[in-house]
Amino acid sequence: MRESVQLLQVALPVLYALGAALYGFAFASSDARVAKLRRALVVAVVLLHGAWFALRGASTGDTPVVGPWPTVSAVVYSAVLFWLLVAREERNAGSGGVVLGVAAMFQLLASGLAPVEVAPDAPRSALSIVHGATSVVAAAGLAVSGLHGALWLMLYREMRGRRFGATFGQLPDLETCARMMRRAALFGFLGLTIGLNVGIAMAHMGGGWRIDYASPEVLGSLLVWLYFGAIAFSARIPGFGSRRAAIAAAAGFVALAASLLLVFAPWSMHGAR
Amino acid sequence: MQAAPTLVLVGLSHRTAPVAVRERYVVAAADLPGALCALRGIEGVEEALVLSTCNRTEALVATTRPESVATAVRTQLFRNAAAGEVYEWHGAQALFHLLRVASGLDSLVVGESEVLGQLKRAADVAREHGALGALLESLVARALHAGKRVRAETDLGQGTLSVARVGVDVARRALGHFANKRALVVGAGETGVLVARHLKGLGVQSLCFANRTAQRAREAAEEFGAEACGLDELRARIVSCDLLVACVEGQSAVVERAHFDARALQRRDLPLVVLDLSVPRAVESAVVELGGNVLLYDLDDLSRVVAENLRDRSAAADAATPILVHEAHEFLGRRAYQQLAPVLGGLKGEFEALRDATLDHVAGAQATPREVELAHELSKRLLHATLERLKDGAKRLRPEEALEHEYRRFLERL
Repeated sequence: MRESVQLLQVALPVLYALGAALYGFAFASSDARVAKLRRALVVAVVLLHGAWFALRGASTGDTPVVGPWPTVSAVVYSAVLFWLLVAREERNAGSGGVVLGVAAMFQLLASGLAPVEVAPDAPRSALSIVHGATSVVAAAGLAVSGLHGALWLMLYREMRGRRFGATFGQLPDLETCARMMRRAALFGFLGLTIGLNVGIAMAHMGGGWRIDYASPEVLGSLLVWLYFGAIAFSARIPGFGSRRAAIAAAAGFVALAASLLLVFAPWSMHGAR
Repeated sequence: MQAAPTLVLVGLSHRTAPVAVRERYVVAAADLPGALCALRGIEGVEEALVLSTCNRTEALVATTRPESVATAVRTQLFRNAAAGEVYEWHGAQALFHLLRVASGLDSLVVGESEVLGQLKRAADVAREHGALGALLESLVARALHAGKRVRAETDLGQGTLSVARVGVDVARRALGHFANKRALVVGAGETGVLVARHLKGLGVQSLCFANRTAQRAREAAEEFGAEACGLDELRARIVSCDLLVACVEGQSAVVERAHFDARALQRRDLPLVVLDLSVPRAVESAVVELGGNVLLYDLDDLSRVVAENLRDRSAAADAATPILVHEAHEFLGRRAYQQLAPVLGGLKGEFEALRDATLDHVAGAQATPREVELAHELSKRLLHATLERLKDGAKRLRPEEALEHEYRRFLERL
């Protein structure tokens, strides 16, 4: 079983990259056979990724997502799953190349740095699992939102510059990008709301958890919560149109990725290694 | 004997000149009779036709003095245009060009069919003003026939292609679904109606026609269950619309920067898409300075979008070549045959005289009705066979293979 976990751990970034390449190829050529193949591949990768978590849990007899890098992998998994659902609902998979490309990059880091063993001192209560899971969903939502914000800006730039290349022809239209961006931000916002509240509840219930409301981590989380809340409801905020929301979402994604990669993941996750 | 008139075509189109140049040489419908009159006034011009659309302004004349007439037409219609912007085709090349124009192969949106109607209307005006003679009349008929054949027999006729459609498709890339969008169409002419048809087909939430004459706007609006207004209401209408399409004929800018509310633009969620399908342009170019929430496109911008359409349709365009060459061959063959008309006119009389003389010589007054009938039938058949051979010979003066070679060389020069 341990070998299977290791094999999948190596295979996942490769499969995500392959999916990104297939979406990129279809982006340029609009080949119907490639379109079918890419959909099948992404569904297979998502199933395999789910199997990897299950096998990880089964091989250690513990929670599969514990520690920074498995969490990054879980965010990747949730983001791709979330994107699949939104793309299916919107009937537009034009952003697949970008989403899967970024997913492949993050999964490569997660696969390379995630230990096969589960950290022994990780919290395992039901509340901590809810806190972790909702935070993962939130991060995934914010990532998908940010990516669609970036795509909105790419297409807008192309249209504003009166260049009508592949981006113009294949990306979802501006309205769809904006809707996907806001919908993803809303899911992220809801996940973050639950995650933050559960975290606060856990801190008040004790069990080794303490919360310092003045700490940069908590303040930062509240800031992210407000920030993506504003993006999620930007359509109702006068003067905060799609373009500004897209800039905010893309910038938020960059900040989120930077904090996840440079600050959060390498050193600590609420002190749990 | 006077030389037969030949064709000369002088013009500029989207291939050679940007919209900023084309709009200077547009001949509005109201100015068409004057332009035809001026062309007829050029020494050596026997027939004339002016085709002025958003893609091109062209003068086609029949003349026996092609060189001097071409120069005079340039001076008359395209004064101050740069040399590279104006093209000039003579004889068979002018014929090839007109066949391609009628087939939609020379259009901005390859395969569009509006040009057939535009050519027909140009011919009607020329006919009304006595500028259309036998040569151009038969040429226009042949071009229209070729245009219909190309659309019917190749893939060029597939789909409903037009500049209006391409413009609406560009707007869709920004606005997405039209079900919750409001569109304002400035100009209630043919293009405006075509745009409205596309928008209705895409389920646009609300549509409004704005026109200089409000009555015309109301007539157009009635067909689509749309609203109508005069140009004085533009500012109020633009504030609430998501898509503005200007398709105004023969006027200077009617949509000005002052018609846009800069504050309202800042509050918009998605950009306002402004399509200017007019030549001359109907939207003031200063509108782009209003900021990021306006996306303005004119015909030159749309030509970049249709470059993709051109690639898709190159196979269909190749398939049109044999049709166009055949039609050109037919036209030139008939024309060569028609040039023999003075000779052929006497041929029938000579055959009949010969028949009667032979009958007299052989049977005299004793010729039976059967023998007379035989002589008549024989002379008729001989005459028919002779004329057919002459027709065939006229076509062989320029074999189809040679014409195809000539056509391909013409394409290389485009």
